[in-house]
Amino acid sequence: MHGNEIERLIAARMSRRHVLKVGGGLALGAALAGCGLGNSAGDEAETTREIEPEVDGDLVYFNWAQYLDPKLIKQFQREYGVEVRESNFDSMPAMMAKLRSSNRYDLIFPSAEFASRLAKANFLLKIPRAKLTAIDDVYPFFDDPWYDPGSEHTVPYSLYLTGLGYRADRVGGMTGSWRDLTNPEADGRSYILDDFQEAIGMANLVNGYDLNASEPDQLEEAKQYLIDLKPDLRGFSSDTITNMASGNAWIQHLWNGDIINARYRVDDPDTLRFQKNREGVPVGSDVFAIPANAEHPGTALLFIDFILENSAQNATWTGYPMPTRSSEKPYAELVKDEPELQVTVADLEGGQQFADLEGEARENWDRVWTEVKAA
Amino acid sequence: MSERRFAGLMLLPGAAWLVLLFVIPLGITLAISFGITDELGNALYAWNPENYSRILDPLFAPVLLRSVGYAAATVVLCIAIGYPVAYYIARFGGRYKYLLVALVVLPFLVNYLIRIYAWTAILSDEGVVNGVLADTGLTTEGVRFLNTPWAVIGGLVYGYLAFMILPIYAALDRMDPTLVEAGKDLYGTGWQTFRHVTWPATFQGVLAGSVLVFLPAVGDFVSAQLLGGPDTYMVGNLIQQQFFEASNYPFGAALTTVLMAFLLVFMLFYLRSAGRAAAEARL
Repeated sequence: MHGNEIERLIAARMSRRHVLKVGGGLALGAALAGCGLGNSAGDEAETTREIEPEVDGDLVYFNWAQYLDPKLIKQFQREYGVEVRESNFDSMPAMMAKLRSSNRYDLIFPSAEFASRLAKANFLLKIPRAKLTAIDDVYPFFDDPWYDPGSEHTVPYSLYLTGLGYRADRVGGMTGSWRDLTNPEADGRSYILDDFQEAIGMANLVNGYDLNASEPDQLEEAKQYLIDLKPDLRGFSSDTITNMASGNAWIQHLWNGDIINARYRVDDPDTLRFQKNREGVPVGSDVFAIPANAEHPGTALLFIDFILENSAQNATWTGYPMPTRSSEKPYAELVKDEPELQVTVADLEGGQQFADLEGEARENWDRVWTEVKAA
Repeated sequence: MSERRFAGLMLLPGAAWLVLLFVIPLGITLAISFGITDELGNALYAWNPENYSRILDPLFAPVLLRSVGYAAATVVLCIAIGYPVAYYIARFGGRYKYLLVALVVLPFLVNYLIRIYAWTAILSDEGVVNGVLADTGLTTEGVRFLNTPWAVIGGLVYGYLAFMILPIYAALDRMDPTLVEAGKDLYGTGWQTFRHVTWPATFQGVLAGSVLVFLPAVGDFVSAQLLGGPDTYMVGNLIQQQFFEASNYPFGAALTTVLMAFLLVFMLFYLRSAGRAAAEARL
């Protein structure tokens, strides 16, 4: 069974305790001062704590489900004599909600644009890159990425691109377009990601606009496209591996690695195919980051180093390319017959990436997504 | 210490609990519902009634109506399934009566979310039910159970059925069985006796069960989230989305406040009806 929901439940249990504490304090604080809720932008001083790569407690780990080889977690626990306490999120906004409600994690896996937002708000600890033994294995491209100048707060974790997965034994007539989501052969078994960025971004690409198009009339078009898509959809779901493996999805909007990961879970892996769409695809990267309020940043550093060292094994298990030289060959071998699954640094340089939208643009994207769901 | 003062003291823990975990959070919800958000999505106190006027957007009306419709269907199905079950346990349970009641409550030891999640495995296209259907030759293609309004309503019925069975069982158990005999002595058929004696005598139990099922069902988001499709969006999902996706706590809080006010009307209606019934019973 997919652990995602259960993990989320456990996370919810944990957070309830925090909410109680925070809620009580807030009521008092707010009554007295009439000021803001939650912790808004933190203090920059809190991001510059001196940290060493040494065990300073169990690792409180917060990541997507099925996005890191569980064998590596077990091995890390054995080698360092610590426990990895795992909980999962199922979208970036859900991760943000947990962080906002003052949950404490030692290690999180935000996408580049969310890492940028967190770093700007002083939510992330500065990572002493020189203390990571495996850092030289990481491509120099990530020494100064657009989302984190000087790579002060993040270490790259993986690269991805978004496309369509489909069941070759069930649907034919795939044309290499996002519009295949309405392929009649899918017989109402198409899913799109339950993710406001991916959904609106896809609509923008189909409509011939930039991935991050945010003009009101462009967003209105995106909204209309998505609403018109709904009768052909079975659902909005980011539980893509389960959807593909259970046979519920014949066409699924998904990230490249998930198709490889889903193949490990079915009897007939060759039937699961991936399509990179001609209107353009989002490419991007996810990163390791340590929140400023982490209790065990030392263990987190050790874990980052450990995963980088084993990035070849991790790339094969997750199905995602990793930003290290040592994982390059094994991953290329894995996708040698399917170049469409590959994402390289060159793709990141030339491709369309989700930007960290600000102010009104972000509000409008959120609003459109709410309206698409409600319509 | 006088008995009165002692009773007052005994109220303290409960009152403190309610103030701490109900009144204060409710106050915060109300306060946030007029608020705004900052760049990180944190809610800030402000005066922004636009959160409420946005609810009037015709876009949201179908969501509210759908929630009420699903909850009403859930209540009807729960009565249809729950009444016979309660009747059987109360009348024919014999020495197994308490065991049967315990069995009704047993699934509640498992969390609602996990019970609903289990249904996704049972009902999926290549899942348990479709496997059995295919093996027996009843179907060739997998039947699409999941991601339909029926699956959502089914999830709600499964989730809240016990809330209907227990009050009806209590009403039936309290009812004097000689009343039924009296009905039959007066040449009433089984149906007439039920219609004119048993049903009116247990109606308050049905009403209590209906309220207990309707209130959580109308605000539920788990069933629609896990078993529903793109066109089964309920107000609970809309609220949940504001908190976990759209980072718009103020709008989510405004929706919550309106939903609670709406449910309060139902509650008041029920309390009045129950109060009147109790007053009649005393006469």
